[in-house]
Amino acid sequence: MNDIEKISKELNNLPKGWIVMLETSAEKMLEVSLSTIKYLSAEKKYIGIIVLASRPQKNLVQLYQQNNIDIKKILILDCISKSQSMNLEEADNVLYLESVSDLTNISIAITESTQRIPGDKFVFIDTINSMLIHNKPEVFAQFIHGILTKMRIDEVNGLLVSLKGEADKYIYAEIAQLCDRIVKI
Amino acid sequence: MLKDETTKSIEQAIQMDKHGAIIMIELPINAYFEVNSSTIKLLMNQGFQGIYISFQRPFKNVSSFFESEGIDVNNLLFIDAASALSGRQQNVDARCVHISQELDIDELVKAIYQSLPKLKTQKKFIFIDSLTTMALYKPLSEIMRFSEFLMETVRKENEEKVLLVFNVAKDLVQKKFIRNVAFHVDHVISVEENE
Repeated sequence: MNDIEKISKELNNLPKGWIVMLETSAEKMLEVSLSTIKYLSAEKKYIGIIVLASRPQKNLVQLYQQNNIDIKKILILDCISKSQSMNLEEADNVLYLESVSDLTNISIAITESTQRIPGDKFVFIDTINSMLIHNKPEVFAQFIHGILTKMRIDEVNGLLVSLKGEADKYIYAEIAQLCDRIVKI
Repeated sequence: MLKDETTKSIEQAIQMDKHGAIIMIELPINAYFEVNSSTIKLLMNQGFQGIYISFQRPFKNVSSFFESEGIDVNNLLFIDAASALSGRQQNVDARCVHISQELDIDELVKAIYQSLPKLKTQKKFIFIDSLTTMALYKPLSEIMRFSEFLMETVRKENEEKVLLVFNVAKDLVQKKFIRNVAFHVDHVISVEENE
């Protein structure tokens, strides 16, 4: 079974508002993320809300285009470009947030986006490890708990990407126990 | 599904103590909620009714999953601490006890204390889904105070059998405050990874 077959199998048969942790290696992270987003947007017809903390939006959009991911079905919450003083390209499907450590506004942006976008959707946290670099672990775990609770109330699906063995053991366990499933690839 | 060995350990813990018991269940992170659900099912099959204090998930998510697992949620009362902590409006439901956003320990304790007599059976349980999730929001001194109150309540109960269940992720049992709680419980049951 290849990676995408494994992902699609694991994401099936989950109740509405599922939360899955996608655990992978640094080498496979990009490939796994792209395959998952492509599967959810093309096959499942979900709208994706990407919380982007690992690379700037411009780079991500290029990768999506190269991999035939329809960016009209994606909303990007870019937590990188503004804090790096990068050129902020205006686009309908991008929201630039101050920084990865601006958890209050990230939380508000996720909630407002999920409530504004109709139909089935998923929130994709890219990645837990990148966000942990810029935030205190306990504060970050509280942030994750808060957004996952709101997503469950609103029946919004969620994927949290985590790099194998990279996160603080306790914080990883604290976040992982909140998920419906942990998919290791 | 719980393994036979775990089921046996929980059943033994229930039967060993005439007036109730305090149990800590250590759970694998990859099946945390499923094992919680299986434990509730086991207790209810033994004739218990209980209060489920949910720090991890909102009421609707927990109750719909329980229903899908064949659990009669009418024999449960819920305290939806997760929704309270997230700042969201809590469900108006006869089975769901309202709690304020501040999650004041005295208020939580009062809610549990007032809910116990509403359960129409002699065999009752108080089920805390995750002490460590609660600890993300409250100081450890408050967690200890909360745990101690619940333990005292169970120990002083003479007429009824009240079971207190604390759940904790296996990977977090080494935290000092969890070890302190574990020191005071009657039974620690460890659930294997593949259950």
